[in-house]
Amino acid sequence: MRILLVEDDPLLGDGLRAGLRQLGFQVDWVRDGIAAERELRSDAYAATVLDLGLPMQDGMDVLAHVRAAGVTLPVLVLTARDAVPDRVRGLDAGADDYLVKPVDLHELAARLRALVRRAHQQPRECLEANDVVLDPAARSVRRAGVPVALSAKEFDLLHALMLNAGRVLSREQLEQHLYSWGREVESNAVEVHVHHLRRKLGAGLIDTVRGVGYSLSREPKPP
Amino acid sequence: MSRRLRSLQGRLLALVLAMVVLVWIGAGVATWVDARHELDELLDSHLAQAAALLVVQQVRELDDDAHRAEAPSLHRYAPKVAFQIFDGGRLVLRSANAPAAPMLAGAHEQFRDGFATVRIDGAGWRVFSARGVDGDVRVLVGEQMASRTSILWAVLRSSLWPMLVSLPLLALGAAIAVHRGLAPLRRLGRALAQRRPQALEPVAADDAPAEMLPLIAALNGLFGRIDGLLAAERRFTADAAHELRTPIAAIRAQAQVALGESDAARQRHALEQTIEGCDRAARLVEQMLTLARLEAGRVAVVAAVDLAALARRIAAELAPRALAKRQTLALDAPAACVVDGDESLLAVLVRNLLDNAIRYSPVGARVDAAVGEEAGRVVFSVHDSGPGLDAAALARLGERFFRVAGNDESGSGLGWSIVRRIADAHGLRLHVERSARLGGLAVRVEFPRSERRAGNQPDAPATAKREVSSAR
Repeated sequence: MRILLVEDDPLLGDGLRAGLRQLGFQVDWVRDGIAAERELRSDAYAATVLDLGLPMQDGMDVLAHVRAAGVTLPVLVLTARDAVPDRVRGLDAGADDYLVKPVDLHELAARLRALVRRAHQQPRECLEANDVVLDPAARSVRRAGVPVALSAKEFDLLHALMLNAGRVLSREQLEQHLYSWGREVESNAVEVHVHHLRRKLGAGLIDTVRGVGYSLSREPKPP
Repeated sequence: MSRRLRSLQGRLLALVLAMVVLVWIGAGVATWVDARHELDELLDSHLAQAAALLVVQQVRELDDDAHRAEAPSLHRYAPKVAFQIFDGGRLVLRSANAPAAPMLAGAHEQFRDGFATVRIDGAGWRVFSARGVDGDVRVLVGEQMASRTSILWAVLRSSLWPMLVSLPLLALGAAIAVHRGLAPLRRLGRALAQRRPQALEPVAADDAPAEMLPLIAALNGLFGRIDGLLAAERRFTADAAHELRTPIAAIRAQAQVALGESDAARQRHALEQTIEGCDRAARLVEQMLTLARLEAGRVAVVAAVDLAALARRIAAELAPRALAKRQTLALDAPAACVVDGDESLLAVLVRNLLDNAIRYSPVGARVDAAVGEEAGRVVFSVHDSGPGLDAAALARLGERFFRVAGNDESGSGLGWSIVRRIADAHGLRLHVERSARLGGLAVRVEFPRSERRAGNQPDAPATAKREVSSAR
């Protein structure tokens, strides 16, 4: 899951990025309001962690602008402002969750997963397609109740496809989910990971839409 | 002063009654003087009339023996009046209460007609002397002064006793009037006494008398100032709490990363960042305390401080940091420059300015500091070749917790607030602008002219430059 982290404090930003990476997120980090708005409009992220006291443009303005522009991705506001009116204003401006510093990394990760789940109308933590069950918190996958060992990238790819079950995702979109900035993307990485997933989970799970991308159907296909 | 007189009511009452008594005493004295004069005139005229009557009915036919005539006492004052009649120098007739000796001593011929005041047997007498037409008969009519005095006292008593009787009534009336008159003052006192300590809204002055308006205005002014002070205090506390949240969040995140990290290098990095976060929180607290102390009071210690020596010491302290960033730090402070101020606060000012220049200038930058005298003023300046500040940032410099965007340094946002406070407290002029020489920021601190230096000639322009640290 690729997350945009917006935090102007170098020490905290570094810590959050490292911590969220440990917990299995891809993290891109920007430090001011202008960059945050630009990145949020790019539609490359599953969710964002937004500080409010930002240079160049306040986090609240960033939020208002991108919401006005129709950006729907989940936004978790992480801030030092803890007064109830601040929380109310933040939530009203379009935040999906509001956390006050300091925050536990595991709680932050859980809330991000919950936000993403809710954004995809998933009532439960685990995602299901056919006989495959994916647990984003435990980062585990079972097929017909049997655990399947996946690499981190394979897991992220499957996660993205399952979150968007029934929709076709292009190779570029999938790459965006898999790689944060500065990470080398191999040219045929997505194809390789899809190949591995089919081998481990069965050929019928992931469909190839020629010239467009890949899709995962929610319902089991008739034999 | 007694406790009672410290009460306004007691003072007013005492003053009013004292004034009343004083006026009464004055009136009494005036009455006494006036009454005595009138009485003297009246009784003198009676003496003269009596004498005239006696002269008219002079009695040659009286027996020589019958010289002790018993004049009838018709009135209670009458026995105090006596007469003597002389004929050819011989006492022929006198009243019973008259002395045997002539009332005008031994002067049968030479005393003149008219009034005289004499002492006979230790008592004062008022005597009128009159002469018969042929000159042989002489009549002396006298009256004891004591009787006049008793009449006078009687007159005074009758006019003074109603005053004395009315004094307690007057005191009671005045007490009630004063008490009622001071009611607004007591109401104000009660209103103030019942206030909660946090209640700082102005006292209503609608029904207050004119004399109390300045007091109420002063009180309301004081309340306003205290309210402002408390609001600033609350704002500062809230700001401080918020500002501490970020370093604490960073420390927590980094520590949690270190806990969950299996890679040794990354774990080490996270731990180093944790320590850095602690240092930052500590620096923030220290800066906030400095600022709080500065806001609480004025400069406590004023002494002669050699700014050049101070700058050298602090530049030497900070030099390792500049070296670590491969910056060139130069201090031009060739001669002693003595200023008046609190040495520890001036040190904080110099350290903050130098620290800012080093912290916010990039690797390899140049920082030039100088202490010198210009036109009799001591000037401390710092130039750097860093990125400088745009106009908007320059305008906001000194706002609490304002941090300039776009740098990786984690300042507290308090350094400039502190510098400004210290400058204000010392009456220093602070200029911040783009450095024409180095392209970055130029900060110039001008000290006021001091009597101490007035006689001294400014030193010759310095040529020796002392490189405190240099990196290649």
